[in-house]
This record gives sequence, C-alpha cells and structure tokens, in this order.
Amino acid sequence: MTDAGVQTAPGADAGVPLSRREFLNYLWGASMAVFLAGGGGVTLWFALPRFREGEFGGVFTLPIAELPAPDSQPTDFPDGRFWLVNIGDAGLQDPRQPKDYSLQPGLKAIYKVCVHLGCVYKWVPTNDRFECPCHGSKYLKSGARIDGPARRNLDVFFIEVLDANGNVLSRSEPTMGSQEAAAVTIPAGAAALRIDTGRRVVGAVNSKPGGGI
Amino acid sequence: MAIFRLHIPVLDEVKRKGLRTALNDKWVDVVTRVTAGLNPADVRGVLRDDPPGRPNPRLTPHAEGFWLHMKPTYYHRMVDGFYPTFRLGWLSTFFGVFEIVTGIYLMIYYTPSPVVAYENMLNLLSNVPFGQLMRDLHRLAAELMVIVVVLHMLRTFVTGSYKKPRQFTWATGVILLFVTLVLSFSGYLLPWDQLSLWAVTIGASMVEAIPPEIVGRNVNLLVRGAPEFGANGLLRFYLLHVVGLPLAGIVAFGVHYYKVIHHGHSLPPEGEKVGEDTAKRVPMDSRVYFMPEILTRELWYVAGLLAVLFAAAAYLYNAPALEPHANPLITPLHTTAPWYFLWLQGMLKIGDKVIWGLVIPGVLTGLLLLLPYFEVGPSRRYGDRRIGLSLAALFVAAMALLSYMGTPHYAVSTSPDQEAVAELLPQTHPGPLRSAPWDDLAYGSYEAAAWSAAPNATLQDLLHRYDEVLTDVQSAGRADVAGRMVIEDWQTDLKKVTLRVTWTNTADGTAGEFSQSVYLHRDGNYGQGA
Amino acid sequence: MKGQIALGLLALLALIGVTVAVTLGEQSRMTEFTRAYEARAIEAGATLFEDSCRPCHGPQGQGIEGVAPAINAADLFDGSRLAKIGYGGTLPDYVRGVIAAGRPVPSIGTTYPQRMPTWGAAFGGPLRDDQVDALTAFILNWQDRALGTGVPVPTGPTVGADITVAMPDGDAARGKSLSEGVLGCASCHVLTAVGPKWPADAGAPGIGSRAETRIQEPGYAGQATSAEQYLFESVVMSNAYVVEGFQPNLMPQNYADRLSAQDMADLLAYMLSLR
Repeated sequence: MTDAGVQTAPGADAGVPLSRREFLNYLWGASMAVFLAGGGGVTLWFALPRFREGEFGGVFTLPIAELPAPDSQPTDFPDGRFWLVNIGDAGLQDPRQPKDYSLQPGLKAIYKVCVHLGCVYKWVPTNDRFECPCHGSKYLKSGARIDGPARRNLDVFFIEVLDANGNVLSRSEPTMGSQEAAAVTIPAGAAALRIDTGRRVVGAVNSKPGGGI
Repeated sequence: MAIFRLHIPVLDEVKRKGLRTALNDKWVDVVTRVTAGLNPADVRGVLRDDPPGRPNPRLTPHAEGFWLHMKPTYYHRMVDGFYPTFRLGWLSTFFGVFEIVTGIYLMIYYTPSPVVAYENMLNLLSNVPFGQLMRDLHRLAAELMVIVVVLHMLRTFVTGSYKKPRQFTWATGVILLFVTLVLSFSGYLLPWDQLSLWAVTIGASMVEAIPPEIVGRNVNLLVRGAPEFGANGLLRFYLLHVVGLPLAGIVAFGVHYYKVIHHGHSLPPEGEKVGEDTAKRVPMDSRVYFMPEILTRELWYVAGLLAVLFAAAAYLYNAPALEPHANPLITPLHTTAPWYFLWLQGMLKIGDKVIWGLVIPGVLTGLLLLLPYFEVGPSRRYGDRRIGLSLAALFVAAMALLSYMGTPHYAVSTSPDQEAVAELLPQTHPGPLRSAPWDDLAYGSYEAAAWSAAPNATLQDLLHRYDEVLTDVQSAGRADVAGRMVIEDWQTDLKKVTLRVTWTNTADGTAGEFSQSVYLHRDGNYGQGA
Repeated sequence: MKGQIALGLLALLALIGVTVAVTLGEQSRMTEFTRAYEARAIEAGATLFEDSCRPCHGPQGQGIEGVAPAINAADLFDGSRLAKIGYGGTLPDYVRGVIAAGRPVPSIGTTYPQRMPTWGAAFGGPLRDDQVDALTAFILNWQDRALGTGVPVPTGPTVGADITVAMPDGDAARGKSLSEGVLGCASCHVLTAVGPKWPADAGAPGIGSRAETRIQEPGYAGQATSAEQYLFESVVMSNAYVVEGFQPNLMPQNYADRLSAQDMADLLAYMLSLR
C-alpha cells in the first residue's frame, strides 16, 4: 500500500505507461523466447533418429525382378520386418476372407509384428495363413484377421512403385470406407518398388469372430 | 446429495471477489512464487530500472530462492566493470556450462567403443542435423575455456587476490585448472582417429615414467586399462570425461564460488589500504545491485557470447577434420600433443623424462597450489610486488618458449626427403596436394625443377613448393636431387599421385630414392575443412 | 545499461539469424559430407589394395594367371560369376565376405596353388572392419571400367593387333605422357618392378636398346622382325613372348582395342628413345 511521502511503491502499477527500457526488455525477452523455441526445434531435429536406406525405419528398394509371383508364398524381408505378399486371383476368391474388407489384387508389405500385443507371427504354409504363437491370432495373406484376440487387420508399410528414372507411378492408397491401405498394382514401365518402413498404415478395425467389423 | 458437495477453495475465492480479481490475485501469487519474492509490479520495476523502494523486494529472491541464493545481491562499484577482473571467472563458468550442454547433445550419438566410435563421428557429421555444429561448438568452447581459465588464474595472481583470506579459494582454483586440463585431454581421445590416439598416447606416456617402475607400470594400467590405449582406455577416458571430472569440477566449483562470494570480490589493489580487505564492507553509495544491473549485464554477455560462438562455429572455425581411423601400429609423421600440453612436450625434449616430465611439473604444481601459503606479503599493490609480477611474466615467457619447443618441427625430423614429400602430403592434415582442385591435377609426369612449365596454376604452385623444399635435401652427402610428381588415372574418379625424390649419394655414387603415393578421389572434399 | 539491453537484443537476433542460416544449409552439407567420406573410403581402399592385394591380383585387379582371379572383370559385375557359383547375396556382401574370410578352401573349379589369406580381424586377419569396407568400396568402384562403360574409348579406328602394319611418325614426348598418365604403363614399368624396367637402370640398357637385341636371341618366340615390331608385339600380345623372370598374364590384354594408331606410334617412339 502506498504511503504519502515514503517511496514504498513496490514497482510500477499497471497504470504507468511503458518506458523505453521496459519495452526493450520485453523485446529482448521475446527474442529469448523465440531463440529457445528455435533451440527446441534444433534439439528435436538433432535428436530424432534418421534411418538410412536398408535400415529398418528407412526405405527399402526392390527391383521388379525380385517381387513374388501372384498367389505365391509371402516373401520374407527380415531386415525390413515385413512380408511381401502378392494377392492374385486365388487370394481374391479365398472363402475365408471377411466380406467387410474390399480386396484388390496386387502387392502388400505387411508388418511382421502382430497387432495384438507385439509378437512376431509366423507364416504357416499348411494352413495357408499367418498364425501368432502368443495368443493365437490368425490372419490371411491379405492381412485380414480371421481369428484370435487381435482387434484389427495387420498393419502395412507404405509402398511406391517407381519407374527407371525414379518417378512414382503408383502408391498405396486408402481403400473406400476405411484408412486401410489397398494393395498396389504394378503398372507398365515399373522398375522398382520402394517400401518405406518409416510409414506404417494401421489395419482396419476387425473384432467379429471369423473376421469382420 | 453429499458426494457432490466438493469443496474447491479456488471457486470460493472467485465467488467472493469476482472472477477478474480472483484471476489477477492468482497471477500475482504465481509470479511471486516463481520469482521467489517479486510480484508482477516488482518485476516491472526491475525491467524499468525504477528505484526499488523499501524494503527492497529484489533481495528476496536471493534470500529465499534456490537459484540466486549464492549470487551476491550487490557488487562493489569498483569490481563491477571490466577491470580488474575482466569477468574471466564468470566467463570460465559460462564455458563450463556451455560444454556440459553441448556435451549432452553429443552424448546422444556417441558410444565409447573403438569398434564404433569413429563410425559414430562420421554419422554425427553426415547424418545428424546440426551434428557438425554441435561438435564444432563443443571443440571451440573447450579450447577457449582452457585459455580463459589460464587468463583468470593469471589475473588473480597479478591482482594479488590469492592473499589472506582467499588462500583456499586459490587452491580450489588450481584444482579447477587441473580439472579443466584433464577434461580437455580426456575428451581429445573420444573421436578415436589418428590425431586423438597419438596425441593422448604421447600425453599419457608420462604416467608410465613414474618411478619406481612398479608404480609407473600399474598407474599406466589404471589410466589406460591396458598397456596401450584400446577399448578399456577409451571407456575409462569417456567415464572420466563425462562423469568423474564433471562431478569433481562441480564440487570444486561449488566451494570455489561460495568462498568468492563469502569473502566478496577483492577490490582493485589500489582501491584499499595495504593489508586490509574491505571487500565485504560495501558502503551504500558504492553498491551495484544484481537486479537489474548485474542481471542485465550477465544476460547480455550470454546473448553476445552465444551469437559469437555460433557464428564462429558455423562460418569461421571447424574442429580438426577427422583424420583416418586410429591405428595403433602407425604413428603419423609430425604427430603432436594438443597445444595446451606443448609445453610439457618441450620440457621432455630437454632431458631425462622423469625429471623434466614428472618432477619439475609436479614441483611447479605444488608451488602453484601452495602459493598463497608461503607468499604472504601483506600488500597487493603492483608497486610492492615487483618480484612476483616479474616472476609471473617470466613464467608466461617460459611457457611460450617451451610450447614452441614442443611443436613437432623443433628438434624432431626424419630424413629430408621424407620431410620434402611431407610438405605436400602431410600425415596429420590434408595439406596442399589433397586440398588442390581435383580437376586441375592433369595426368602426366612433372619434374619439380620444371614447375613453370606445368599446364595450370595449381600444378605450378604445388611443384614450386615441392622444388623449394627439395633444396633442403641437397646436402654434403646428397647431390643431383630431383623431384617428380606423377599423376595417373587409376579408376573412375580416382587419381593416383606419386611423389618421388631421387638423388646421388656423393660418398659412393649410388642412387637413392624415396617415393610415396596417395590416391585422390574427385569427391574427397579435403579443401572444405571437414 | 540500456545499451546492454539493446546489444543483448541485437545479439539474440543475430543468433537466431545464424541458426536459421545453418538450418537451411544442413541437408546439403550432410549429403556432401556423406559423399566425401564415401570417396575417402575408396582412397583408403586403394592404398590397402596396393599393399595387400596387388601382389596376387595385379595392380589393376586384372588377376594373375595361376595365382589369383581377376576382380576388375565384367563377369563379376554383371552377375554371371555369382550366378555360376550359386551365390544368392549381393555383390558388396560377396566381396566383403571373400576379403574378410579369405579362401581357406579352394573354390570349386580352380587350381590356384596358394589359398587367399584371411583378412578380416574377426577371423584372425590383420584388417579392421572399416578397412575391409574400404577395400570393398574400392573394388566396387571398378564397375564402370570392368563393364566397359567408363573406359575412355578412342574415337575412330584402333590400331589392332597386326604388328606389321605401317605406323605414322611418333612423338616421343606425347608417348611419355600417355605412358605415365591414362595408360598406366609407368606404374609397372618405371615406378615398380612388376614388369621389365623401361629406363636404363644400373648398367642395364633401356628398353629401346634391349628391343633390338632381344629379337636376335635364340629363345625369342614371337613374330617381330624389328625393334619397333617387338615393342608393338609386347604391348598388344604380351603373352607371345614373356621375358625370363617375369610372369605371363600380368599385362592388360586389350591395348589393341584401346589405342589408336597415333597413340601406338607415339608410345613406340618414346620406348625406343629409352636407351
């Protein structure tokens, strides 16, 4: 409280106008805040890990010659942690495929980690399906869940098809009615496939017994 | 219903005072707590540099807060400016904190194993955004810190600030000097390239010389973890650099700074009577308060130093380019200790390594540590301390001379033909041949003596240098000295350059020859400093 | 003190400016540095190759018959060699694996009298992993030349292997620079002793003089009838007659297709001038 005669005012009240010094100090403080924010950005860019080509988290490039034939067994890419499957006519007509998920022919890069609790599921040729050893989730080659406690279809990695000059001819697109990625067809003139293990597309919701929404 | 009758005190306040007042009061409360004693009006007063009023609220953050607790609330006007301290103690602390911060950044990408350390450095420089900036900053600040710490010690000696009652402050300062030097030395090893390995091997070899032999051998094993530097040594030096020495440094700094504040910054020698220490009794009219004057000054120093350091690291300074991977079997010609240990290397060239490498430095360190306990003259005035000041000047000159003697060019040389080739193709840094524009190295065979006939300026320059350095090879024992540079196309974008020196031995007429070749790739980029 | 506030503000703005400037250049700096250290790995590999591999595989990796196979060879880089031996991995992995592990057991179909040593430290050899990687990078850099896509091909007709064809006048100085430059003759014939030394050396005459006497010797098995033809033959058909004390199959066999008639004439003029 102010007392007449004794300068006890504890600093300036709100009513006093800005002095030049005060204004400069505010500007300085603002620039410190900007620098700290920028420094935060620098720190983030510095500390976020980067992945080189061929490292999991990075990009894998495959020449067209190395792709699996349609309806063949899934090809294992342990370095990239994905199965490369080529869905052909037999896959399209698989009776076990749940009707709720539209299926296109083409390639999918399916993440090897089960979407239930993180175990690595196996491909079981005799049953023509993926089976997870931890809690029994089962999936078709198309990535659709058909049994088990998992609650969605398998996740896939983003695929781009490139021509000889590196231009993108086609890429993974979301299917109608969900955000799940459709299989990628190989157009004419394609030279290589680029699979980005840093971009994962989550599978559609699937919790009905036998598969379905 | 009873369970819904929650009692929230804040809402009571809002109801009582009205929303606006309640929020304002809350704001004032938060600011006062965060600043440990200043309400928003007080803060504004600091920013405006208004007279503080009584009781001075700006003392409360010091008395009741943690961060400002050790910092003095005011300085004596006579020690406020640039003289007499040149703010070197503050600067040393700034660099210490700066090194800790940049060091932590670098730790994110470094593993102290000889198998991956070098690869980590390459990754840091090629695949981490701002990696080169962080490394350059860390290196630049480390070298500056050594300089600043030594200057601080020199200043403290010259102004006699080590005298009673500040003797132990000086002793902790010597400990901090030691910690700084060993921090710099231990960090030097971490990149694990040829420079690191051999510079640190040279420095650490002193440890092996401690007599008696059994002590020296075991201290060497403790320090290096093995008879030679390898995985164990790298890990021990990393732990020293990142844990051991910073802890020791923080403890020593705590004691050091506490005592500095406890006794007060010593006044300039001419500012007080001989034998008196009036630093703590600061009359009201000589006080310069921390808030806002000293605070503003320190913030300005931080901003200015950061700007200078970043600009220097980004545009002017580059940490020494990574040399090839450490190789314990090959010591590069002209390998050298870090510059702050050149004086030790100079001493070692004088005589027996036990005396000149251990005893004398040990005695000097002891004298330095105990200086205030035997130099007890009461006066700090320059005029009364002529002997001491002369000794200090002599000491500085001696260190400079010893450092020169420690450089590899003094009293260390191999045969002149190897020196001649090393002029163009040094083994410790890229040198003129590697840095020359790749496209200018036209294929062909060139004689050094015919340098003016070379097809372009780059080659003329290189050959001229070669020719000049070859005159040293000519001697009583060698005649007909000739030099040749052959540039061949070896692979796609790869050239092979061979430097030859031929001569005739005058003693028996036989021919002598020395040659060295190097492969240069178009994209090697040696001229860019990284 | 107000000056300090203003200076502090300016300093911080400068700091922000420097940070932004560095940020903008970071991506290209990193790419450039990556390229630089890949290039330096090739350089390091070249030195290692010269020290460790040249004695068996030849200075340009062309192999030495009866000692070691060619590395600078098209069949290695176009995949046929790997297909023939049934190796399923990539070429870099193959090269790295062979260098690191060596050949403790002879490869099927080969009869080399000596085994390739083990080089990788993990298997008892002298080289660190990064040195094996550097050697691999150097060897892979032969791709262009091995496949013929990078060799400077002469425009116009090449001289061919007929040593009796009439040659234009030669310029010895140009021949000298060819031999020390693009053709690489000096690396075996002048600077080292892999092949017969061209210049006169410690009492022995230079190759120009030796060419004249060599065709008269009873042991000579080639077709040349003059010193110039002898030298021509030794360049384009080096295995027609190998001087005693030297190995066959050390020289590249494709000079007939690489040199124009003028190139050959210049080279011969130079060699003949070395008495």
